[in-house]
Amino acid sequence: MHDLLDDWAQCNGLRETSARLKLFFGLGAIAICISSLEPAAPLFVAASMSLIILILAKIPPRIYSRLLLFPLSFALISSLVVALMHGSGDMLYALDLFGRVLGIREDGAALALLLIARTFGGMCSLFFIALTTPMIEIFALLSSLRIPKSVIELSMMIYRYIFVLLDQAAMIHNAQVMRLGNRSIRSSLASFSMLASVLFLRSWEQGERLVIAMDARCYDGRLDLMEERRGARAKEIVAAAAYLAMALAISIASSRQGII
Amino acid sequence: MAAILETIGVEYVYADGTHALNNLSLAIEEGRKIALVGPNGAGKSTLMLIFNGILRPVAGEVLFRNKRLDYDSRSLREVRQRVGMVFQNPDDQLFAPTLYQDVAFGPVNLGLPPEKVKRHVAYALQYVGLSGYERRPPHHLSGGEKKRAAIAGILAMEPEVMILDEPTSNLDPASSEEIMEMLDELNLGGKTLIISTHDVELAYRWADEVVLMKDGGVLRRGSGEEVFGDLELIQGARLKPPMVVELYHELVNRRLAEGRKTPKSILELCDLLQGRGDGNAVQEEDRGKIYICNADELEPERAAERAAELARRVDADCTAAMGTRAKLLAEEANLRLDFTYGAIDKCILKALAGRSCLIFVSRGMLELVQRRIKAYSQQSGTKINSVDLSSCINRRSQPVAHDSSRSKSFK
Repeated sequence: MHDLLDDWAQCNGLRETSARLKLFFGLGAIAICISSLEPAAPLFVAASMSLIILILAKIPPRIYSRLLLFPLSFALISSLVVALMHGSGDMLYALDLFGRVLGIREDGAALALLLIARTFGGMCSLFFIALTTPMIEIFALLSSLRIPKSVIELSMMIYRYIFVLLDQAAMIHNAQVMRLGNRSIRSSLASFSMLASVLFLRSWEQGERLVIAMDARCYDGRLDLMEERRGARAKEIVAAAAYLAMALAISIASSRQGII
Repeated sequence: MAAILETIGVEYVYADGTHALNNLSLAIEEGRKIALVGPNGAGKSTLMLIFNGILRPVAGEVLFRNKRLDYDSRSLREVRQRVGMVFQNPDDQLFAPTLYQDVAFGPVNLGLPPEKVKRHVAYALQYVGLSGYERRPPHHLSGGEKKRAAIAGILAMEPEVMILDEPTSNLDPASSEEIMEMLDELNLGGKTLIISTHDVELAYRWADEVVLMKDGGVLRRGSGEEVFGDLELIQGARLKPPMVVELYHELVNRRLAEGRKTPKSILELCDLLQGRGDGNAVQEEDRGKIYICNADELEPERAAERAAELARRVDADCTAAMGTRAKLLAEEANLRLDFTYGAIDKCILKALAGRSCLIFVSRGMLELVQRRIKAYSQQSGTKINSVDLSSCINRRSQPVAHDSSRSKSFK
């Protein structure tokens, strides 16, 4: 019914790779992207991450491009604003708007480019994690990082019930559309508020049923955690480290050049 | 036989004042397959929740193995472990993010050590045919798989009684037959089973005992033939009789059949029509043989290969499988199965029509098949030959199909 990130996380080319390594790899790339002072490194990360996602993880290009569309369009609009508002240096482009000059200066343009590059690189790295690592593995990882057990248990339940409630929301929505609940903006709003309130009540009921289900199986405050699947292979660790080192080197080299 | 679960004068009133159960007394005998049937609002689900200690009756008492349920936390734990309940909607029951965690939930909370938890989970998942699905989240399972997962969650706690609320609702016919056959397997392993259902066909065929409920009380209890044979009673309870029973009554009305005993299945109805022993019967040499292969006796590593080889050697007209493991094996061996449920009766029907059949069975079902064929042969006076292939399974070469020395015939 819906195309979920979670579905792809469950079955992709890198499903069997150690979650710890994938998380480290993705987070490392994000850190490099946002700390980089020049757009070169983030753009490198964006391009290489996209290739990894498409080729190694075998995510269909259609899905991936659709995913990127939202954050990218958001980044483009906001960096346009930054470019117009910001800076000093030579005027690259000027627009005379009834006597007031609206222009893009060199500085602003550079900042806007950096902003786009960082967002793009960061998003690609984040999608790498989201598309290759299922939540359950992340839970297992969190527990080994000594995050309090109750936090993990709670987030596991929340994770599970997102899908149950999502199904219910989809069903309620269909029931409304079938009876023309969205024929005008006014009625769409009314339908939506109804959906929200019914969903709240349903989640409440679901919670009560959950308590019964747990009691029926002798709930005693214990929930088993999934073990981590397997450690990373040496080859994979070396490859990931080499990649991050390369991105870092590009970042440092490009910022030096910028300073000189 | 001793009652394992019993209610005495139980009453239950919901918060809105609905009297769900009125002075209900019911004793469930150990090792039986019991179906609770009745119209909506008859109190079936309430009764099930009372059996499991989830609801506490306002009056009356519940006994487990003649011990009164006290509703303190210790006795509740005990009864909930011994009396497992599978909910109607698996989404209410599967709350953990992965199948493994969900099935492990019960054993972990019973305080079992980790290795034992692992063993219980592996056993339960294997039993329901979901080995290898440990890391799947429940929302990535189909309806039938979710149901089996819910059953595995209960099975892992090793209950003595299993209660299933509408086990076949929302399932396609093949999945629901598979679930019911799995319940048969469990019953064979000694578990007492209680199901509630609106599906009269299923209740009639499957249950040893049918409990007809209405307005929070028991209207009638007895064998399927007794309860469903009484057409007025059934219609009064907003149910309809099973097809076989209805057809039988019409045939008797038109004097096409003798009204001696309500037939339980299509097989029995056919026999009734043919009037066994009046010379019309199929000659013995024209009857087909039934070959039985115990799938668990095949060499584990090469089971699929062996099964395929066996099927080739026997070259039967129809192939059938009973039990989860046998079905998985047949799938692995790329065998086309003609019957995946109700296999015994269908094979007997085929044998009477002169066809030979090969049945793959798992675990203790071999005995069940032989017993059923023997019982049929005795009852109807028609000899059906069955061949147990167990001893020649792992040997190659000699053709089994013509090896009549091992064929057992029952008379």
